[in-house]
Amino acid sequence: MNNKIGRRDFIKLAAVGTAVTTVTIAAKGNPLPEAEETSPYRWAMVIDQAKCVGCGECSLACQAHNDTRADAPWNRMIELEPLNGEAVYAPVPCMHCENAPCVDICPVGATYHRADGIVMMDYEKCIGCRYCQLACPYGARTFNWDANTAENTAVPEWGEPEIERRPRGVAEKCTFCFHRIDRGLAQGLMPGIDRQATPACVAACPTGARIFGDLNDPNSPVSLALAKYPSVRLRNDLGTNPRVYYLPARREEEVVEEGVS
Amino acid sequence: MNQKIKLHRFAFPVWAAVLALLMVAGLAAAITVFINGLVVTNLTDLVPWGLWIGIDLSAIALSAGAFTLSAAVYLFGWKQLQPLARTAVFVGFLGYTMAMLCLLMDIGRPDRFWHAIAFWNIHSPLWEVTMCVMFYFTVLLLEVLPIVGEASWFKARWPKLSHRLHGIHKYAPVLAIFGLGFSLLHQSSLGATYGVLKARPIWYKPSLAVLFIVSAVIGGLSLTVLSSKLAALFSERANVRDDILDKVSKVIGWMLFGYLYLRFWDTLGMEYTLEPGRTEGLHILTSGALAFNFWIGELLLGILVPAIILVTAKLRREPRLHLLALVLAVGGLVAYRWDTNIVGQMVAFSYLPTQLEPLYTAYKPALVEVLVGLGVIAYGLLAFTLGVRYLNVVDHSTLPEEVVEPAIMQPAVMPTD
Repeated sequence: MNNKIGRRDFIKLAAVGTAVTTVTIAAKGNPLPEAEETSPYRWAMVIDQAKCVGCGECSLACQAHNDTRADAPWNRMIELEPLNGEAVYAPVPCMHCENAPCVDICPVGATYHRADGIVMMDYEKCIGCRYCQLACPYGARTFNWDANTAENTAVPEWGEPEIERRPRGVAEKCTFCFHRIDRGLAQGLMPGIDRQATPACVAACPTGARIFGDLNDPNSPVSLALAKYPSVRLRNDLGTNPRVYYLPARREEEVVEEGVS
Repeated sequence: MNQKIKLHRFAFPVWAAVLALLMVAGLAAAITVFINGLVVTNLTDLVPWGLWIGIDLSAIALSAGAFTLSAAVYLFGWKQLQPLARTAVFVGFLGYTMAMLCLLMDIGRPDRFWHAIAFWNIHSPLWEVTMCVMFYFTVLLLEVLPIVGEASWFKARWPKLSHRLHGIHKYAPVLAIFGLGFSLLHQSSLGATYGVLKARPIWYKPSLAVLFIVSAVIGGLSLTVLSSKLAALFSERANVRDDILDKVSKVIGWMLFGYLYLRFWDTLGMEYTLEPGRTEGLHILTSGALAFNFWIGELLLGILVPAIILVTAKLRREPRLHLLALVLAVGGLVAYRWDTNIVGQMVAFSYLPTQLEPLYTAYKPALVEVLVGLGVIAYGLLAFTLGVRYLNVVDHSTLPEEVVEPAIMQPAVMPTD
């Protein structure tokens, strides 16, 4: 048995190795993400817990417009400890983190940042490994364990589906209703101000507890609200920099009745 | 030369039939899953990684004997281990196919298994694992092909192809280099897959990558020696050199002590970080649902007992104790992978400021998961049995006597001679 590699063999092998590497790199282009296209907008949401009454209409509007399952909502309504005898609620959508753990770890890049900061899902790329469910600190992601063939109970009362249902075997989550934002901007509307261009949950909120807008615009509804009230972001200690802000529940007399916009 | 257990002449057909039956049951369960979706499993949005991931992690870790022994033989010149490396390579090849079968079952879109090649996210440890597993599987395939080519029935039927396949063997040192590189990368990155997740405090630490590679090398060596010994015990077509297995086993014993030190401090040191979610997870491990697994399965039976047996010449050379120690070391590795995967998912820490109680979850695999898992394991056992019978994967007789340095290699007492 000859176990020795001759000089010729080594050179042949090295040549083949180099060729394979070169072809791979040439075919792939630069493996590092390309410089992001820029966007003038930086979308964010503010949820005013002093105004939220926990009616859940935001969740229903979301279920109708995004055609989600009733038992796996993108926007969860959670009841917290009462304050001064009054119930306190926390509606929890995707936080659209600036440093999103799910974007970092998705093995195929199926979840990614848009230039305007929205954390998106590419349902055509997702392989359904569910690593993102382990990585998300906010439990914002749901998985399609089977094909969703059920009737959407929120339709038509709370709206009509505006995006396609996701297939079996992929992860999904809140998208800040990117389709409403994009469609609205194309029509010359401003998300956060014009209802049709604003995420369905914000448009549906009967008490004005949800505010949406552009953080880059100092006069946007979100910028004004954040300038006026102290706000918190969930698990800020993790360094994720969520783009969903909460105005904590305050005493009755502190609530400004006319809202902030 | 080897001690044999005389088997009834129907032993092999019965053994093969039982395994084939388990494989058929597993296939039926797999078809159920493919038809209905993962909804038929007990996995949930809170516990999305279960039994199959546990088997996948264990199979990859227990395959680590292949790269360790290939490196020892072809890079560090430990020639007397060559027949053992041959066994390890075959076991590793089977282990990686088992892991890939489990992953194919586990992902929601098995039709997109190739996406990691086409769509890169170089920041994802799981992407790196996927790429390395594919590259390393290619290496293993190239290492296994000469074994197939050298089989006498293959040589008789396809002499030219046999010669070709045998020719690949001269690249063994190159393959060993690639194997070492890819394995060090992805065996560690499997730990890092968990270790980078800040959302799960009990996982979030750099030491997971170290523990995964160290435990994989130990488990992989243990399984290689164990499968060699079992093959030699039950099959007429397998024979081993007990002096070689004895020496490797002693090394495994000392490595187990090192691993015990790492695992012990790495786990119990977490008590002092007082990090919400981490402390709760630790308590599940040390006094909660996983406490038996941790103290008995991992530390006592999985590390301490086999370590003592394997480093003590008297105990190690008692054939039954030797086998027991190897079985325990393999079981300890499986217990570690299982505990690690599950413990982080049993505590979903609250992200809401006023909810300080963490959310506890539970998971028990469904019958379909168990059947698929058993089917995959049965496939591995059957393939190894056939490998012993028809591919000579456990055969130390080829080793020339003069390669062995008697002073180091020969134990004082050889009970089996």
